Amino acid sequence: MKVEIDSFSGFRIYPSKGKLFVRGDSKVFRFASSKNASLFLQRKNPRKIAWTQVYRRMHKKGITEEVAKKRSRRTVKHQRGIVGADLAAISAKRNQTAAQRSQFRLAAISKAKTEKKDKETKKAKPASAPKGSGAPKVSKQQMKGGKGR
Amino acid sequence: MIGLKGTLNIIDNSGALVAECVKVLKQKVNNGWGSVGDEIVVVVQRARPISAATSASVTAVKVRQGDVRRAVIVRTRKPVRRPDGRLIRFDDNAAVLLNNKREMLGTRIGGVVSADLRMKGWGKIASLAPKAI
Repeated sequence: MKVEIDSFSGFRIYPSKGKLFVRGDSKVFRFASSKNASLFLQRKNPRKIAWTQVYRRMHKKGITEEVAKKRSRRTVKHQRGIVGADLAAISAKRNQTAAQRSQFRLAAISKAKTEKKDKETKKAKPASAPKGSGAPKVSKQQMKGGKGR
Repeated sequence: MIGLKGTLNIIDNSGALVAECVKVLKQKVNNGWGSVGDEIVVVVQRARPISAATSASVTAVKVRQGDVRRAVIVRTRKPVRRPDGRLIRFDDNAAVLLNNKREMLGTRIGGVVSADLRMKGWGKIASLAPKAI
């Protein structure tokens, strides 16, 4: 079953209903009723006739409720854990006071500083020792038997 | 709804342009009126001029003004009801010329024809037309 569309009003035309009009330029027009056919033959513009589909679409009739509904939907905030930080850890961080936070920060800084110092002292000792006592300077090319520079 | 003195456009390439109905051939029930698929007798009222060059070629103009020929109606302004209940109406009355053996005089059809022709045994004309609606 094929339901056609009225070429004037945009109404549906069910089988056994309607009229087909073939114009001189072999363009086909379908009409659901004599009212539509008559208005078309009077060369009326369906955009100016209030009950046609094109008019209603043009003037945004019958779709206001849907628009209002769409607007009422809001995004809902929700807390979730992220990679490497579950919800408990995040909430704990959020709930600490400013004083606490600065304290933690200072502690972290001092800790990092001491660690750095330790590292440097450790580095300094072994770095000074092997200097000079290595193998004679031979490039990889020379080791392989190349000329070198 | 073609009767005596009804004028029709001739839409094949036989050379005729406008023809006037002088007789609607009888069928079981047509009450003197011809519709799509009915055979009629016509007088050619206006035809394409015959020039020497075209008369020699294959696509020669075959009819001249005043000729009496048979024709079959292919479009009517009067709405025709289809078996599925809808009505179909065209913008003009049109016909295609035939010879006495009910074969087409022309070789081509320019313009849409009604799909009712196929039902009434004029399948060849319907298939020759660019579109059967």
